[in-house]
Amino acid sequence: MKTAAILSKLWQSIIRHPQAVIQNGQPWINRLLILVAVILIYGWAWQGLQVDLELLKTSWPYIVDFIRRLWPPNLEVLDVAIKALIETIQMSLWGTTIGAVLSLPIAVASASNLAPPWLRLSANFVQNVVRSVPSIVLGLLFVAATGLGAPAGTLALGIYTIGYLAKFYQEAIESVDPRSLESLQISGASWLQIAQYGILPQVLPLGLGYTLYMFEYNIRAASVLGVVGAGGIGFELASYIRSFEYPKATTMMLVLLVVVTAIDGLSSKLRDRLEDS
Amino acid sequence: MMTIELQNLETQTFSSLNRPILQGINCQIGRGEFVALLGLNGAGKSTLLRSLLGLVPLRQGEIRINGTTIHAPKNGSKTSRRDVGMLFQGGGLIRQLSALENVLCGRLGAMSTWQTLWGFPKSDRRLALDLLTRLGLKDQAYQKTSLLSGGQQQRVAIARALIQSPQILLADEPIAALDAIAAKQVMEILSALHREQGMTIITVLHDLAIAASYAQRAIILDGGKIVYDGKSQNLPATLA
Repeated sequence: MKTAAILSKLWQSIIRHPQAVIQNGQPWINRLLILVAVILIYGWAWQGLQVDLELLKTSWPYIVDFIRRLWPPNLEVLDVAIKALIETIQMSLWGTTIGAVLSLPIAVASASNLAPPWLRLSANFVQNVVRSVPSIVLGLLFVAATGLGAPAGTLALGIYTIGYLAKFYQEAIESVDPRSLESLQISGASWLQIAQYGILPQVLPLGLGYTLYMFEYNIRAASVLGVVGAGGIGFELASYIRSFEYPKATTMMLVLLVVVTAIDGLSSKLRDRLEDS
Repeated sequence: MMTIELQNLETQTFSSLNRPILQGINCQIGRGEFVALLGLNGAGKSTLLRSLLGLVPLRQGEIRINGTTIHAPKNGSKTSRRDVGMLFQGGGLIRQLSALENVLCGRLGAMSTWQTLWGFPKSDRRLALDLLTRLGLKDQAYQKTSLLSGGQQQRVAIARALIQSPQILLADEPIAALDAIAAKQVMEILSALHREQGMTIITVLHDLAIAASYAQRAIILDGGKIVYDGKSQNLPATLA
């Protein structure tokens, strides 16, 4: 009864003065309000999913059967897997590089400490447009333009990369110490000198770290692009699954797992070294 | 003889203060003076210092340094800025560059973009190393500045300002966040530059006792106006 009274009082106060409760209320009331809000948001999202738990229960044997058919891997296609994987790495390398080169001017144009507001607005809009196009749609677009294979995937990765690297580079540029730039400006340095001696040294370690992360991410993204015929290991993986050759598909996934793990470890170490420098 | 002349300076209204940061500043600072700028936070000390570099747009008034009028950023005169060196709180250094490279950055204004694209000439590198040696940082010359202590960073910043051969050195809270020994070292260097080279020093300080020990003159700001302009000796007693 007491709890109901507290909740009722709380509800009334939210209805009447929501702002006052957040600003002046007791800390525990604020926390409770946040908890209730979080629960409501998750509840809203859950009902939108319309998850049928009964169906999940009955479909469980099918999931188990699918996994069972994946094992053991068919190592006869190991050479095909390695060849496709090399192509995926090549796609990621070029895709990331194209994306990084195109991201740089967009990031400079988006940075609040470098660009005028009108340019920032336009550059941020370009970023949002690129980011809102799914990689698979880009894959389909470039397959239509250049045909099936790695060139389509590479171009798709290049454009997809812009959406993320431009934002990362922008944030790296915006985190540059403004006083250090002002000190160069005071000494009479030109804009290009400020960029070379002030901005670049501060942005480079962070920017290279983000680029390495994107390279690693693009190897995984390239696998998805293969599903729409844009080359790489994903192309082989999708082909084997479509033709029900699950053990061969497993070999592809295992090779991908080994390489992704190795590159993740390597790029983590490189990023740590860059951050320390 | 007069180096700096400020006439009826007034900046734009600052929204959070609801008044101009500087209002009606009139003052003259002669060549070779050591001046301490004092005042509470928001009094306008740093803004006054920055306005001497033409970094603050003015609503009215005029700043003349060695007879040259200083304008707000768009028309900033490069020549007069090279006469003036600036020390920022914390140094304002590029932390990823070595101490030597930071000092060399002070030469950027004297060289074209093309000249500095591939680095600095040997003569400049020698000069920078010489300055660092004089400031007791020879062994740290090739170290990244992020690895140096606060006091060492501030000395690198002094060397960077000195490589411009300035006649006037402005310092915005140069000893803030430094320990007592490092703060004393920095103030002794400023004092030596003033004493031995006749350099005009204008520094923002918070410590009245330090201001009284090193500066000849103190300017105290309050609410964007000068409320005291006189000798810095016995300053605590004067304010009491």
